[in-house]
Amino acid sequence: MKEYALMMIGAALVNNVILARFLGLCSFMGVTTRIDTAAGMGLATTFVITVSSMADWAVQNYLLAPFGLGFLRTVTFILVIASAVQFTELTVRKVSPSLFQMLGIYLPLITTNCAVLGVALLLVESRLSFLASALFAFASSLGYSLVMVIFAGLRERLALATVPRLFAGPPIGFIVASLLAMAFMGFSGISTG
Amino acid sequence: MNEPMPVCSPAERGAVEGIVHVVRVDDEVVWLQPEPSTSCGGCAAVGQCGKGIGSLARRIEERRFALAHSQRLEVGERIVVGVAPRALLQAALIAYGLPLATALAGAAIAEVWFAGDLASLAAAAVGLALGVVIARCAARRLLARGDLAPRFLRRVPPGESLQPSTGGKGGA
Repeated sequence: MKEYALMMIGAALVNNVILARFLGLCSFMGVTTRIDTAAGMGLATTFVITVSSMADWAVQNYLLAPFGLGFLRTVTFILVIASAVQFTELTVRKVSPSLFQMLGIYLPLITTNCAVLGVALLLVESRLSFLASALFAFASSLGYSLVMVIFAGLRERLALATVPRLFAGPPIGFIVASLLAMAFMGFSGISTG
Repeated sequence: MNEPMPVCSPAERGAVEGIVHVVRVDDEVVWLQPEPSTSCGGCAAVGQCGKGIGSLARRIEERRFALAHSQRLEVGERIVVGVAPRALLQAALIAYGLPLATALAGAAIAEVWFAGDLASLAAAAVGLALGVVIARCAARRLLARGDLAPRFLRRVPPGESLQPSTGGKGGA
């Protein structure tokens, strides 16, 4: 139990997907203009990362590894991720058309989010059990969502601030992102086993 | 066209907004279609990003929805509709959070009882399916309360977009 907790803290905070591994930067800069949309995107990505990592774990351990097809890993994982996104979209649409109207906008963006593939490939290297893989993916995506929401909050405040014209727009966004990354470096002192 | 702009309620002032086109006007409802803005608009790949599966036109058509006909709207008009920020978060929690929680719970319980990867995998799949069913019931309840329904906020002057500020008012 303790190992799982430490692994999850490490995945979410110490080795944060965005600020330590530099994955998913497109959505980090593009969808963080409002806290609500950042939270919606974060939850959608959390779902897709966790579900596709579970599916990727099964494909890796029951198909690719036993038959020596490791060279097909990246292509297969991309296919699994695209299928997971499509499955999610179909399910949300069937379950509730109203939810689909509201949330469907985020799903196509996730297909091209490299954080999803990055977490799946990290799991292969880690050689974890199924539950550990699922929890690692869940924690990584929670870390992703946390940073998205924090950064969206900062940008909402920033939109009201007066900054030098040279820095207005994306430049000040990147400066704030770098300060946030430095703040998260403080977690690197935590021992996660 | 000349009626006064509707006044937004305090809850709607912080609403998550989107621009839609009026594509059909019936007796009691108007049919609205979101503007093609599936990508985040945050980088140079804005035209291609997120178009991977299915055509953009089909995706947008699938997201067509109806709104009570109360503002004398005409076909081709652009209007802003909004949902309460809390509704967006609630919807995301129901659609994604619930199935994920049940899937992870299923995997954890199977790991404790059977201590095997295959059992955990099967339990996660069952948990996911169960979560989808629960989410369906929760979404129905939310819909019955009217929390998920978008509301008319205002008409859009030609050329206006909702692209929010990305950081800072340009100073000297």
